[in-house]
Amino acid sequence: MTIKVNGEPQKVASDPLTVAKLLEISRVESPEMVSIQVNGEFVERGSYPTTVLKEQDEVDFLYFMGGGTR
Amino acid sequence: MTGFATKAVHGALLKPDAHGTLRPPVYDNVAFEFKDSHDIQLAFEGRKPAHSYSRVSNPTVDEFEQRVRLLSDALGVIAVSSGMAAISNVIMALAEAGTNVVTTRWVFGNTYSLFAETFKAWGLETRFIDMSDYRALAGAIDGNTCAVFFEVITNPQLQVVDVAEVTRIAHERNVPVVLDGTVTTPYLFRSKDYGVDVEIISSTKYISGGATSMGGLIIDNGLFRWKNHPKLEPAAKKYGPQTLLATLRREVYRNMGACQSPHNAFLQTLGLETLSLRIDKSSANALAVARWLEQQSKVASVNYPRLDSYAGKRLANRQFPRGVGGILTFDLDSRAECFAFQDALRLVRRATNINDNKTLVLHPSSTIFCEYSDADKTAMGVRDTMLRLSVGIEEPEDIIEDLQKGLGAI
Repeated sequence: MTIKVNGEPQKVASDPLTVAKLLEISRVESPEMVSIQVNGEFVERGSYPTTVLKEQDEVDFLYFMGGGTR
Repeated sequence: MTGFATKAVHGALLKPDAHGTLRPPVYDNVAFEFKDSHDIQLAFEGRKPAHSYSRVSNPTVDEFEQRVRLLSDALGVIAVSSGMAAISNVIMALAEAGTNVVTTRWVFGNTYSLFAETFKAWGLETRFIDMSDYRALAGAIDGNTCAVFFEVITNPQLQVVDVAEVTRIAHERNVPVVLDGTVTTPYLFRSKDYGVDVEIISSTKYISGGATSMGGLIIDNGLFRWKNHPKLEPAAKKYGPQTLLATLRREVYRNMGACQSPHNAFLQTLGLETLSLRIDKSSANALAVARWLEQQSKVASVNYPRLDSYAGKRLANRQFPRGVGGILTFDLDSRAECFAFQDALRLVRRATNINDNKTLVLHPSSTIFCEYSDADKTAMGVRDTMLRLSVGIEEPEDIIEDLQKGLGAI
């Protein structure tokens, strides 16, 4: 399956691929600080394990530096 | 780690220091370098956790913000250049022309000016009410209300309102509550527990550690569902609970430039470490001074929320079990007596600040409120016979001895 992660196309094998799994395999920096959007819409942290990604989805890992966000 | 002082002292280090220092250095810099073009692009897009420019974020300011977040159990914190910057940034994020803010008629003088003059010129209406009149509050909120704003203990009137009741009324109408918690800080009052959505603080006061530096804090408690806020609803789809913080960090705060200097953030992080000690001491001193003033025949009245004579004492005790801070007011017979009293003081300083380590005295009517008419001052609860004391952390006997000199001069 091909998805876009932070604007870059990526082939990902996992099936089904959840946001939680993508977060794990992407090895993002400071995962506790990241905020995730799928196709431009915010995903609640509690929904990461149940949000299943599909072909051509666009996922963004975003940080609001400073501010002690969590 | 559950105690306030423990959290204040130890905080949460984001990254280990290269030298293992227990006191992280001051990153008193402007710019940050990146390893390649792609890296800096990711940082600008918010796709990499990196500082790029200190007007937007800085490691020393970040550490201060993290420490405050830990103490307030908030969703996120943004440190700004002053308390007024905290108010103006939040209101600019929430409001637009044609909307209104409901606030107390007893806000701090410069805050009143901000709403009644500065924001009015940009099309924001402000509805000044008696915040303890909960029916009036409910009646003042309408479909265009973008926020309810008030102070946890008004300055200098020292009015205390039922914060949980205010938030209940506002939330029933899907309106966020913004509270100025400068005089209590998260040590005396955890606003999140009372349903407050956003707390702003002038960290110049108690938090700075003794009037060391200017600063302000925006604390988003993470309670409000921003999809219910007309202006922020589009952003809520993208940012969810982070909507206000993202709007500030990526637009209002970034663009207005009211950032906190790293040096001030360093001083204020130090201030946090002794905050509870200083608040406990000044609160105990203020109560001792207030009780002493009540016994003096030349003093017409004393106002302090811990006194038996304070009308809302039961509510104040319930809402602020640890204390009510160091500010009290008292009345003499005239402005002339107030001036004679102030001029006779030798230890207590004549200065317009609060929650310094030093005890300060001020005649609000001729200073903070000097630009207002007598009628306006009456409406704002500011009397020409009133003096404000911000009681510091000296020995109470020395403060009282100096006040005796003041009374001896009238």
